[in-house]
Amino acid sequence: MAARVEIKLICKAYGRLKVIDDWNLAIEQGERMVVLGPSGAGKTTFLRMVAGLEQPDAGQIELSSRKTAFVFQEPRLIPWRNVRDNLRFVNSSADIPAILKQLRLEGFADYMPAQLSGGMQQRVNLARALIIEPDLLILDEAFTSLDLPFKLTLIQDLLEHWRQKRYTILMVTHDLKEALYMADRILVLSAAPARILHDFTVHLDEHRSFSDPELLRQESELLDLMTGKNK
Amino acid sequence: MKSSLRFLLGIGLFLLIWEIWARWVMPGIILPDPVVVGRELARLLGDPVVYQAALQTLWKVLLALGLVLVLGVILGLLLGLSSSFYQMMRPIIMIIQAVPVVSWLSLVIFAWGIGWRGPIFIAFLSLLPMALLTTVSGVSNLDHKLLEMARVYQVPRRRVIKDIYLGSLIPFIVAIVDVSIGQSWKVILVAEYLCGNSGLGVEILSARYYVNIPKVYALTLLAVILGLITERLIKLWLGRISHKWQPA
Repeated sequence: MAARVEIKLICKAYGRLKVIDDWNLAIEQGERMVVLGPSGAGKTTFLRMVAGLEQPDAGQIELSSRKTAFVFQEPRLIPWRNVRDNLRFVNSSADIPAILKQLRLEGFADYMPAQLSGGMQQRVNLARALIIEPDLLILDEAFTSLDLPFKLTLIQDLLEHWRQKRYTILMVTHDLKEALYMADRILVLSAAPARILHDFTVHLDEHRSFSDPELLRQESELLDLMTGKNK
Repeated sequence: MKSSLRFLLGIGLFLLIWEIWARWVMPGIILPDPVVVGRELARLLGDPVVYQAALQTLWKVLLALGLVLVLGVILGLLLGLSSSFYQMMRPIIMIIQAVPVVSWLSLVIFAWGIGWRGPIFIAFLSLLPMALLTTVSGVSNLDHKLLEMARVYQVPRRRVIKDIYLGSLIPFIVAIVDVSIGQSWKVILVAEYLCGNSGLGVEILSARYYVNIPKVYALTLLAVILGLITERLIKLWLGRISHKWQPA
């Protein structure tokens, strides 16, 4: 079952630097939420708190997830284990050939991480997340370092998988198009100490295209919101 | 081919220096020339007593090395995992490291008299601090991002230790064996000489007792050759095992 995440008035500071200031929101089951904001706005800190890797200084995060998967910005694969064993590491009883097929990694099971390109390593990173059958999938700028065609196919593969399982997705990115392509809702943050400036609902079909005029229109609307032009 | 030629040239140069030294610098009884020692070595290779002594030394070396590796790595891992345990144990490790071998020798002779246990105990204690500290530094060099990944995915601790900790420690374990194997031969020979009842160290002691100087050098040469062979074999074996943990 997909997870529900409820964030209740959380705050976080590193020493004197306050990065997250009074966030209050809920992410519904099966929802795809993307967080957009300037660098240093605490986006990664927020994801880490939801994943339980850090604790908020104040407030509470309530999570109904039993299985949380985290696609880190860098692949974090075990260098001395091949692709198959890297996947087995998180789920020893998983159907590895199936996930390799779904993420176009067939034939790479015996490859060591160092033998793969950055993009392929990121594919394995995503495969590792999906193989645990998560009810909450967290992605921290997982596609940032990839070139556009590679990024597009990987996002499409992820969305294809999501359509079958309908888990909750929480993702951070800098890329407005990527956000609109992926999300049901987009949170727009201010600079640190970050506050939630806008909670933007994406009104687009589930099957989207990067060149969809409506997506482009919403992109410019989002840009206006981020730069404060609409005020 | 070229490297083995250079290796042989190095041995030739060593023998030449030895010959010059024996002929002109330190002639007579103190340093016999290489031909005399070589002849003595050939004679010893036909003597079953020497083989028995070499075997006696070899098993002590291997046992000491095995104990250092197993206990050193396990204890080092525990020390590396808990900084408070490490802080508590650090003075003890420093004391073991600082105590001179002679003091251990006296202790061993009081405790067990002359026998096989003393050399193994002394070699073990001389090498243990190095193995512990190397393992601790291996644990502190772990990639914490991998551990964090394992935490998010709720990977069982046993699998984390096997796949992440052990994999990260392999280069450090190879380094421990690298340093220990040569040291272990040396310490066991000295300890056999001083408190042993069998082995090449005891043979050297008896040759010295009868002022059979060529035999002392021939036995030393034999110990060096055996030391190099075991070192080579163990490294080959370790290389095969550690290959599983190579990044590519």
